[in-house]
Amino acid sequence: MTATTETTVPRSRRRIDGWRWAGRIFLVLMLLYTAVPMVWMLLTSIKSGFAAMQFPPQWWPTQPTLASYQKLLDPQNSVGQDFLRFFWNSLFVSFCTTILAVVVAVPAAYAFSRFRFPGRKFLFFSVLLRNMFPAVIFLVPLFILMRVLGLVNTHGSLILTYLTFGLPLAIWLLKGFYDNIPIQLEQAARIDGATRFQAFLLIVTPLSVPGIIATAIYSFIGAWNEYIYAATFITKNDQLTLPVGIQRFFSENTTDFPGLMAASFMMSVPVVVLFLVLQKYFVRALTEGAVKH
Amino acid sequence: MTALTGPAVAPRKTTRTREPGTLQQMWTSRADYLYVLPAIVVMLVVIAYPIYYTIELSFFKTPPGLQLRDKIFVGTDNYTAILTSDVFWRVTLNTAIWTFASTLIAFVLGYGAALALHRDFAGRAVLRAILIIPWVISAVAASYIWKWMYHSDFGVIGAVLVQLGLTDRQPNFIDNVHTVLPSLIVVNIWREFPFAMIMVMAGLQTVPEQLLRAAKVDGASAWQRFWHVTFPHLRGVSTVTILLLAVANFNSFIIPWIMTGGGPSNASHIWITHIYELAFGRQRWGVAAAYSVLLFVILMVLGYFYVRALSGNESREQGA
Amino acid sequence: MRNYRLSRALAHGAAVSALVVSMNTAAIGQSVDISQWSPEYVRSIAGTEEYDTAEQCGAVTPLDHEGDLSFWYQGVFEGDPDLLRQYYRDFFEAFRATYPNINLQEQALTYNDLLDKFRTALLGNAGPMVVRLQILGGVEFASKGYLQELSPEDVGWSRDDFWPGAMKSVMWEGKTYGIPTNNETMAFIWNADIFERAGLDPETPPATWDDVVAYSKQIHDELGIAGYGLVARKNAGNTPYRFMPQLWGYGGGVFDEADPSPTYEEVRLDTPESIRALQASYDMYVKDQSVPVSALTNQQADNQPLFLAGQLAMMISHPSDYDVMLDLQAKATGADKDAAQVVIDNMRYGPIPTGPDGRRAVVFGGSNIHILNPEYVEGGEVDQDAAKALICFWTSPEWSLKMAYAGSNPGNLNGFKTSWMKERLDSIEFLDVTTSMLPYGVPFPTLPETPEIMNIIIPDMLQNALTGAMTVEEAAADAAQKVRDVTDGGGL
Repeated sequence: MTATTETTVPRSRRRIDGWRWAGRIFLVLMLLYTAVPMVWMLLTSIKSGFAAMQFPPQWWPTQPTLASYQKLLDPQNSVGQDFLRFFWNSLFVSFCTTILAVVVAVPAAYAFSRFRFPGRKFLFFSVLLRNMFPAVIFLVPLFILMRVLGLVNTHGSLILTYLTFGLPLAIWLLKGFYDNIPIQLEQAARIDGATRFQAFLLIVTPLSVPGIIATAIYSFIGAWNEYIYAATFITKNDQLTLPVGIQRFFSENTTDFPGLMAASFMMSVPVVVLFLVLQKYFVRALTEGAVKH
Repeated sequence: MTALTGPAVAPRKTTRTREPGTLQQMWTSRADYLYVLPAIVVMLVVIAYPIYYTIELSFFKTPPGLQLRDKIFVGTDNYTAILTSDVFWRVTLNTAIWTFASTLIAFVLGYGAALALHRDFAGRAVLRAILIIPWVISAVAASYIWKWMYHSDFGVIGAVLVQLGLTDRQPNFIDNVHTVLPSLIVVNIWREFPFAMIMVMAGLQTVPEQLLRAAKVDGASAWQRFWHVTFPHLRGVSTVTILLLAVANFNSFIIPWIMTGGGPSNASHIWITHIYELAFGRQRWGVAAAYSVLLFVILMVLGYFYVRALSGNESREQGA
Repeated sequence: MRNYRLSRALAHGAAVSALVVSMNTAAIGQSVDISQWSPEYVRSIAGTEEYDTAEQCGAVTPLDHEGDLSFWYQGVFEGDPDLLRQYYRDFFEAFRATYPNINLQEQALTYNDLLDKFRTALLGNAGPMVVRLQILGGVEFASKGYLQELSPEDVGWSRDDFWPGAMKSVMWEGKTYGIPTNNETMAFIWNADIFERAGLDPETPPATWDDVVAYSKQIHDELGIAGYGLVARKNAGNTPYRFMPQLWGYGGGVFDEADPSPTYEEVRLDTPESIRALQASYDMYVKDQSVPVSALTNQQADNQPLFLAGQLAMMISHPSDYDVMLDLQAKATGADKDAAQVVIDNMRYGPIPTGPDGRRAVVFGGSNIHILNPEYVEGGEVDQDAAKALICFWTSPEWSLKMAYAGSNPGNLNGFKTSWMKERLDSIEFLDVTTSMLPYGVPFPTLPETPEIMNIIIPDMLQNALTGAMTVEEAAADAAQKVRDVTDGGGL
């Protein structure tokens, strides 16, 4: 994974420089495109209510205030209570989804990678096909299904649904990972007397940790950000997750844009931090898992 | 894959040839199924029932005065109603523009960013991290942020344009039938391009150094090196990425729904949001189901190409 | 905070209320005489009777009744006045204190969510036992057979204790399926300070809708801020509540709902009168550009901060908006606080403008409370006595008043006779204006298709016309055709 080094070749120097400058300008533009909305979100969140509604807008608030944040994080305040509860709900649902996703996807990916059994190919691709169906179509039948299973208004309905969102990509990623782990290790273990399952658990799984981390990240982020199903399956206020809670909060009464921006920021912080910390595993997993030599 | 043991096959209790029937094979490998059983059960339950339910419902009508279970059988009336309505064709056009533009532009931008980030420079990791953030942020949060930026009366984008003297009046982004779809597409691209960037970045790792160096020694320009070495090598990754992006865009609901709800005047309705409005806003469950079935069919076609691309990857790698 | 031109309004009011009352063939309410409706009359009956809710409801369901009850309602949230939220808390406390053995599980939902979630829940047979729905919603569910028959007599009142229009809204095919909890009509709010600065008489609201268009233009031309708070958002209840008065004022309508004895047979959206009403909106949005550009995606909640920031001159809203402004101002800081105070000092309430021939109409709004049929309820059972206890409590004179304290009026007319009403009249001055509008209230058509018509077809028509996607005539014709299709049971 080394970067290509640039040897100085005078004849084509100008052309190289041209591309390099083009690349730099392009990156700057992309940086602006990416970062400006986020900066504006932060700036708005520290304005007071009216200040946000000036036209032309105040670039830097004349009276910056953290009132919006205080309101959101204050357990004494009814706004804060709701927000913290939503935060907790999201955390719980995302965490459970992640654990379950790993537990279900890892053996399945391993099996698809190592074993030969009839219907293997068909099953594998049908698992992937799930990826294609839009969430909206399944809303009502799934709701009825959840009712039959007695899961309405519980977090269980969400966890079950989110599981199916993340599984296809997770299995696909992990399978690629496993394909790249040489079979000899397991064969050696089996010669030493380990069962197939033991070989899987003790030898192979530790080697696939980057893939597992990637799966975990993907599931967590997917569950954290999901909106439609959470909005449909959950009606009780104290069960709502963040995306729905925030939408309900701020669109029902007096549209409070600084509050909304503050809430959006707070909602994004966990997943962004998680991703930044673990991103190298994710990229590595994609490299080894998705991009095959 | 080494030459030592041939293709990766887990040792079995007994060695069997292909002659025994499928059922016997299934029986022998029953333990294997246990590994995939949880995944399959979940998928079957959560997918098979809804699909059946939706297809059945598409042949019925659900007027507002009747309960859902008293629905009236109308055969293919729902399908004819859909295919002959103006709104449907307009929404189809919107969906096509939305998917095509979002996918293509997000892919190109992601590709470009990956290329530009490929060589090491100070702050590269930071820059890369910042560029990935839009993909990680919740679509709900993103919708609100951009909706605020585009606001027809207080939006900052309009204010900047006015201050720079490019227009004299605050331009109307999302309350105008002509500009609303492009405006939403910009938001969608903002969210999607990091994915393309990551995929291409991963792919670029696999471009063989020697070829590039050899090409340079032979006097190839940067562009020629890219076009003749890098680009073909990334074809597999590109295909998969484009397909994944297309499917995701086709299905993206949150951005159009939260930002404009399909308005104004149906100008930003794509199939998904239109179905949602039909089902939940107007209680036309039968029609919404028929619409969904049409969507299935299209997606099946897309799926065929998707699967072929993936198994193309598979067989290429297995056959090696 | 001032009343305006009530004497004129009342002369009209008396005439219209006579028409309204003539719809109800039963004898006029024994003690509250609607035909005499005026602020003076309302004052005269206020505080004239005391009620003991526990005693009244104890006669319906014994106070020691044991049972479980689930209940959904449109709740009060951040944007509602603190006082109202206090009363809601008080209600549940009082109910629990009166009926300690009833295990009540209540669930508050937002206005826009309530309909969606209720529908979804019913599909999965997971509904609550009792539900309090906005007035627009009940008919749809009654027609589908989700609701049990329920009339005021079942909980110890008489149907004459309620507004005829309200009773009409809970009836389907001749049977009664619910009880009104509260009814309100909106009023016209304006900022006197902005009027003055724009060269208009600060104390005089626009008399007709054509005046609204003219004032809006003047304000925009002189001061560069938005005149009238037009809203045209789809899937939001605010839009029809603000457009229908305009439509009816000009003499138009969806059907003949504004007529004394409506039959809902003939679609009237494409009549010349209706087109004139739509034209007025078009003039404001497109021709004069005197309303917020974001009107197409705005709902009333978006108008409030604009008004309070002095960026909007006129809007139609609830009586409670005054309290909302007070709360918002209390939460503002620094320079914002002073700006908000100026607005509050200059807030004025007046009756809804009339059409060109003096016709005044407003949406007869409110909520009704219903009991569901057991098979659609989560758990499969409804505790009838517990349900009746709760309903009796909520629709009692005392509580139907308190729960409607800030923004509405008691559904139970006897609420106007309580001492709390007197208190209310003394402390909330502009209340007189909104109560005086009640006789002008026109209920929405009581058809199951009404939610779709009001929440989707009407805003669509507005959006089509205002964006220029269709001409005004085309938009009206298109909407009329859609209404015909919907009521005939077809179309996409």
